[in-house]
Amino acid sequence: MDSRNFIAAFMSAPALVGLLLFVVVPFLFAVALSFTNLRLGSPLPLEWMGFEQYRRIFSDPSFVRALLNNLVFVVVVVPLQTVLALVLALLLNRRLYGITWFRTLFFMPVVFPLSLVAVVWVLIFAPGPNGMMNAFLDLVSLGNWTPRDFLHDPYFALPAIMLTSIWQGTGFQMVILLAGLQAIPAELYEAAAIDGAGRRQQFWHITLPQLRNTLIFVVLVTTILASRLFDQVQIMTQGGPNDASTTVMFETVEAAFARQQVARGAAMTVILFLVVLLITRLQRRVARQEREVT
Amino acid sequence: MWKYLLIGSLALIISCSDQQSDLTVLMVWAHAGQAVERKVLEQQVKRFNSLQTEIQVQLTFIPEQSYNAQVQAAAVAGELPDMLEFDGPFLYNYVWQGHLEPLDKLLSAKLQEELLPSIQKQGHYLGKFYAVGTFDSGLGLYARRSALKDTGVQIPSGPDNAWTDDEFATVLAALASRDPDGRVLDLKLNYSGEWFTYAFSPLLQSAGGDLIDRNDYQSAEGILNSPQSVRAMKALQNWFTRGYIDSNVDDAAFVSGRVALSWAGHWEYSRYAEALGSDLALLPLPDLGKGSRTGQGSWVWGITKHSKNPQAVVRLLEFLLQPNEVLVMAAANGAVPATRTAIARSPLYGDKGPLQLFARQLQGGFSVPRPQTPAYPVITSAFQQAFIDIRNGGDIQNAMDKAATEIDQDIRDNKGYPQVD
Repeated sequence: MDSRNFIAAFMSAPALVGLLLFVVVPFLFAVALSFTNLRLGSPLPLEWMGFEQYRRIFSDPSFVRALLNNLVFVVVVVPLQTVLALVLALLLNRRLYGITWFRTLFFMPVVFPLSLVAVVWVLIFAPGPNGMMNAFLDLVSLGNWTPRDFLHDPYFALPAIMLTSIWQGTGFQMVILLAGLQAIPAELYEAAAIDGAGRRQQFWHITLPQLRNTLIFVVLVTTILASRLFDQVQIMTQGGPNDASTTVMFETVEAAFARQQVARGAAMTVILFLVVLLITRLQRRVARQEREVT
Repeated sequence: MWKYLLIGSLALIISCSDQQSDLTVLMVWAHAGQAVERKVLEQQVKRFNSLQTEIQVQLTFIPEQSYNAQVQAAAVAGELPDMLEFDGPFLYNYVWQGHLEPLDKLLSAKLQEELLPSIQKQGHYLGKFYAVGTFDSGLGLYARRSALKDTGVQIPSGPDNAWTDDEFATVLAALASRDPDGRVLDLKLNYSGEWFTYAFSPLLQSAGGDLIDRNDYQSAEGILNSPQSVRAMKALQNWFTRGYIDSNVDDAAFVSGRVALSWAGHWEYSRYAEALGSDLALLPLPDLGKGSRTGQGSWVWGITKHSKNPQAVVRLLEFLLQPNEVLVMAAANGAVPATRTAIARSPLYGDKGPLQLFARQLQGGFSVPRPQTPAYPVITSAFQQAFIDIRNGGDIQNAMDKAATEIDQDIRDNKGYPQVD
């Protein structure tokens, strides 16, 4: 038994050392730095500031708005994206001619760099009647749509980013859910069919319960990724208009690099970490993962 | 497998020891700006490398939008190159952080005297000379002459009789009434970052406001959010609310003929001239009461403290400042050549040259350098944020108050940016 433990420790050591060096230590650094006045490249001595950075960011309306936007983003995007990914996965989990081609097509956006996707969507959201999105909405509303400048509109900026993110991220979850679907034994469906269960009943009583762990994993990962929202904001809206689309990550990068206030940025990341931790704990509590029975 | 590894490592050892020990390799960082600029710089470096055998320059291009962030990160990691290009107003922060080597004793006195006054002024800080540009910038209103003729408003002949705020409003209204979508002015909204400060802070100064109190650079309160500054931003916001501004997503608003006016820098000259030919006019920015004001200062070169071989870097700098090299770059990007000899020889900037306005603005005191203080990164970041809020219809006084508070807070946090030796 001892030797097995030793082997387990030995085998996991590289990964654990990596985690420690590149995740845990930097994070502890961030916590420590958030209590100082560290500025990028400043020749002045470092000073202890206690909770001053935290006091400042919580009295900064932009940061509060950023936290709120992050929450809205998670609340809207995570369920939408998961449902959409499940629908796509169910559609693509068939033996049709050319199905791999479709799978590739839906997975493609995931492979594109986010910055590229964001630039393309900036063009799609172009203002004026000739912008692609405006023209499309004009078509479907039979000419009742007044063209808008989506990315500079206080009501549309964040939804525009959400749409981009969902389009880009769905394929990734779809592939994970597809793998989950294909792991469900066919006998279950056969048995259900013999017992007279219809398509819908099969979905509710076999597919969903069997996908439970996969779904929980997908929701958790999407939540964490959604909290880190940055690239689209930086490229599409720069947080505007009037902070309508700013996020904690965007505010952090602005503070640490544009304004060289590293300590302030560090304090923001600590807050973000705590918020994400809280949300994921809640999710875990609501949906406990079932152990595989082997 | 082992055999290959052995051969490979042997080859490495041989190739390393084979290098001449007197070859100096210089790392140079430049910003990835306009394609034409990049091409010229690459060719210049190639020429320099082939002209002599002691120095080999390796050029790296860094994306412009996050340039300062990259420099800061490299400085923390101790990875700064020998020679660094940076946007002029960041100089004071870099000097304060101790990254730059003074050039007074390195560059020949003759060459230093050759430089335009605006370049000398921009490169001097606390009595030492730290950075030199091979060109200075010009900022103005490019216009389609034929479109203005129809409006009946006089075309300004120079920076001293620029359009007033009212005249400019008249021009915009007249142009808009003849334009299918009513959008007649391009402010280069497709750019981001430093452009907003460079292009629109002159409006503050033209109205009697400014970014910061320039007597001691200790406070923006009462300057950046003064009634004059607010009035300037109000004029700007009006152009937006009246629907005059083209969003220029495709960066072709002016060349495709969608708008008749484009608020842009020297770097657009070659593209615009090609598209419009003799119909292109270059005008000063509007005068909001205290005279037309415009931007100055462009990308400059500095030698980092990190460099082990400043003498070699100076040789490269002196090569880039030769009249021929300066003119090649100026011809490519339309910028104001940085040396007197080059300006005198440039067909663009001569008495009847199409870009004579840029030279007059720089030499006639119409251009205002961006604040010469280590607080500049925060000043520009705060102003950019305010500009974005204002262009999106936000409350002007609020936006300016917020920016001023933020700048003052930063200056206090840094104890007023004292000189640290």
